[in-house]
Amino acid sequence: MKKKKDNHSTNDMFYAEPRGTEYEKVMKEKTVPDKYKWCKWVLIMTMIVLSIRLWHLQIMQGNEMRQQSEMNRIRIKKVLAPRGIMFDRMGKILADTRPSFNLYITPEDIKDFNQTVDGLSGLMGIDREEIIEKLKAASNFPSSFPVKIKDDVTMDELAKVEANRVYLPGVSIQIEPKRNYPYGKVLAHTLGYVSEISSEELKEEKYRTYSPGDYIGKYGLERMYEDYLRGIDGEKRVEVDAMGREVRTLEMKDPIPGSNMYLNINLDVQMVVEKALEGKRGGCIALEPKTGAVIALASRPAFDPNKFASGITKKDWQAIALDSTHPLQNRVIQGRYPPGSTFKILTALKALEDGLINANTSYGCRGGFPFGNRIFKCWKKGGHGTVNVHRGIVESCDVFFYNIGLRLGVDRIHSFGTSVGLGKPSGIDLPSEARGLLPSTEWKRKTQGVPWYEGETVSVAIGQGAVWLTPVQLVQLSSFVANEGITFKPQIVSKIIGPDGKTQKIFEPVVTADIKMKKQVFTIVKEGMQGVVNERSGTAYGSRIENVHMSGKTGTAQTTPVKGRDLGDHAWFIAYAPSEDPAVAISVLIEYGGHGSSEAAPVAKAISESLLTVKPEIKEAMVRGQGR
Amino acid sequence: MVKVDKRKLYHLDWYLIINGLALFAIGIMNLVSATSSFYSGSYNFIIKQLIALAIGIVIISIIINFDYRAIAANAKLFYFLSLVSIVLVLVWGMAAGGARRWISIFGISFQPSEFIKPVMVFMLAYLLHEKKRDKILLGLKDILIPLAWVVVPVVFIVFQPDLGTGVIIFLVFLAMIWFVGLKKSTYATLLSAGIVLPLIAWQYVLRPYQKQRIYTFLNIDSDPLGVGYHTKQAIIAVGSGKFFGKGYLQGTQHKLQFIPEHHTDFIYTVFAEEWGFFGSILFFLLFITFINRCMKISQQAYDELGSIIAFGLGSIIFFQFAINVLMNIHLAPVVGIPLPFISYGGSSLISVLISVGLLLNINMRRYMF
Repeated sequence: MKKKKDNHSTNDMFYAEPRGTEYEKVMKEKTVPDKYKWCKWVLIMTMIVLSIRLWHLQIMQGNEMRQQSEMNRIRIKKVLAPRGIMFDRMGKILADTRPSFNLYITPEDIKDFNQTVDGLSGLMGIDREEIIEKLKAASNFPSSFPVKIKDDVTMDELAKVEANRVYLPGVSIQIEPKRNYPYGKVLAHTLGYVSEISSEELKEEKYRTYSPGDYIGKYGLERMYEDYLRGIDGEKRVEVDAMGREVRTLEMKDPIPGSNMYLNINLDVQMVVEKALEGKRGGCIALEPKTGAVIALASRPAFDPNKFASGITKKDWQAIALDSTHPLQNRVIQGRYPPGSTFKILTALKALEDGLINANTSYGCRGGFPFGNRIFKCWKKGGHGTVNVHRGIVESCDVFFYNIGLRLGVDRIHSFGTSVGLGKPSGIDLPSEARGLLPSTEWKRKTQGVPWYEGETVSVAIGQGAVWLTPVQLVQLSSFVANEGITFKPQIVSKIIGPDGKTQKIFEPVVTADIKMKKQVFTIVKEGMQGVVNERSGTAYGSRIENVHMSGKTGTAQTTPVKGRDLGDHAWFIAYAPSEDPAVAISVLIEYGGHGSSEAAPVAKAISESLLTVKPEIKEAMVRGQGR
Repeated sequence: MVKVDKRKLYHLDWYLIINGLALFAIGIMNLVSATSSFYSGSYNFIIKQLIALAIGIVIISIIINFDYRAIAANAKLFYFLSLVSIVLVLVWGMAAGGARRWISIFGISFQPSEFIKPVMVFMLAYLLHEKKRDKILLGLKDILIPLAWVVVPVVFIVFQPDLGTGVIIFLVFLAMIWFVGLKKSTYATLLSAGIVLPLIAWQYVLRPYQKQRIYTFLNIDSDPLGVGYHTKQAIIAVGSGKFFGKGYLQGTQHKLQFIPEHHTDFIYTVFAEEWGFFGSILFFLLFITFINRCMKISQQAYDELGSIIAFGLGSIIFFQFAINVLMNIHLAPVVGIPLPFISYGGSSLISVLISVGLLLNINMRRYMF
């Protein structure tokens, strides 16, 4: 034995000093053995203590405890927090909550499955299969978890269920707050909608405070400000009887309602916009150029957010999702369109600023502009004759802008446009804003691997070709002129007030562009835009307003045929008013609407009229900055 | 690396292995029931637990290759590694429920405070053994240095805060110095410290929620909605099991979510509810025989170092078992201590398996060839 051990110690470097000596054996025998006796005693004592306690709990108190666990029908129920209310700038309610009666089945309380399901199916006219499907979908949850069978039962149905409760064990009705949009489709794209959280979303870390059946903001402001609007659900501990009926509330933790949001939207103006866009496809945004506060925002076609709030049916959802006109698209921030002649404002600003032209620089227009081996046409067949920048804007002469666009080059247009805010998100407080596209030579080289052709610059100068912009970007172009070089981030929400009445957030104006330019540049362009509406030869002369000067620029953007069919041109109008001291900047787009002058400009006229003439008190409030 | 002698393998303690596997099997079966009410189902829990078992077995097969004396000689290295990981937890650990106990490497999160337990036993065994070289009984001076080695990690762990692991390590320390033998005067000094120190801890160390648990322990009804409510529900769960239990997968208390942490710290209530008094007694006996086997390994160890280590490892299992079950049946205040082999948690299981590996190691080498 000794020999082996020595062997070990020489073989192994790690080896601790050999301790297995006789001395140690002696030590061990001397000190340790009596400890093991103690250890045994400790183990025996532990066993005895545990057994006595278990005997006490499971045998002596067993019956009582068993009864308690069976009677232990105390349930913890969620008390839904009402979502925050949204107001317009005048304090009118745009979204609130209303009580709704929702029908639940708690599987655990069902005594006879067929009796409950058939009974309910007969009373409510719900398909038996539908009920079973809903219960199956919740089969992963504890059986004490109530499964929602139907949202928003009517008073008649409610009375029927209540009268037959005894025959329907497991069925219960809960009164829960439900999102309500009193104006239906009005402002649908802005307010957005709430809907039941999906099982995919539930798996995400950021939604870990949600549980199945919870409603969550999925679109628009509802989604953007979900954390503010949601509130904190309460909890109540209730005792339920064998039927699953609440016997009494033992403990209640009140829910904390969501915060209220005050929007910059003016419902009266919004109504005018909605009416003007009725039956059309397109979008319109109006904002205060001096702050970025959004007064009205509408997109058509629209949807009714109330449908989502009360549990949208499969059929309704498919009707909306598969609609080829895309009612769920907010065209103002997600629709990308060629800007057409509205873009000439940008070209003119840059050419004047860089000194390429002055107020008197003229080009001859004979109805076309030969370049390379093709002729770029002017919209006016006979031509405009000799055109300077003022007439170029007022009469929207294409040839004039072909000339100066070519002299500017696409990259100067690109960099100036980008600094104004085109071809990038405006930062408006709505989710999923599109970037749009403002081309440059570098962009083309990178994405298509071919060099830029001068001929393309000719198209870009008048807002055709590879220019794709959203209506909200173009309202910023209008604001840029109105403010003479400054734009503010478009903001729909002005402030958020907590349920305790404390202000949680105030949205101050945020400058997004501040470009120092010659005063003269703006004077020329502004006179041009005022001429568009107020001069007899202007393209929007038909939309002039009495007593108020509106400035604007029409656009008629050519479209590429869809599936070989020419659907017509997009009609644009960007404007600001009053010309002397702008209080509102507007951008209107009518998809495949035809001429900007005849289709889009009248919408802007209606807005300006409603804001500035029909309701003088609105103007007052706006100028003084009330309602913010 | 030393090639394992076939004769040593022959001396693997199959009794300990089978007893451990029996506990693990009961644990898995019980975990299926405990997690059946979760939205995600049991599957993920069981898979993770089985992966931890596999990792544990790999670690065991590595551990038994090294002579435990060689491991003890390097105890300081393991000690510092563990200490660093515990400090790292405090710096970048992941918080869960107000505590920073986990650290994540390559997406695998683990709880370093679990692994320091066996390391601590080795460290203490090594130090105490050194002190004992030429003495029969240790004096106060002899245990001060080992105490310092214990206090440093315990302070870090308690501040995570993971009071449970801190308590276990400290109790194991006390058991180990008792085991090697102290002078009578030293026992007297420790006893008086045992009266003064808890008062200081109460004043300066314990967090409000930890104190609340002790208040609640003394009077359940003082906190009818918090810990007291849960403790009460735990007792109802245990008691409602009666003699033969409600039957496997039939426990209502945990399924209705009346008991928090019923897959980790309160897992015993799930077993007691479904298997009753009868099942529980057999369950306890499995633990007692397992711990008794640890003591036997200690007794039969070749040298005193082996004895001390085996005793220390056995006492980790013992204290975790005892305190966990006692708090489940309201005989001890609620602290976070997992039930070895039974509670859900990879780090905890692997730590226990490391102890098993070390015990096998000591047992294999009880005859020196």
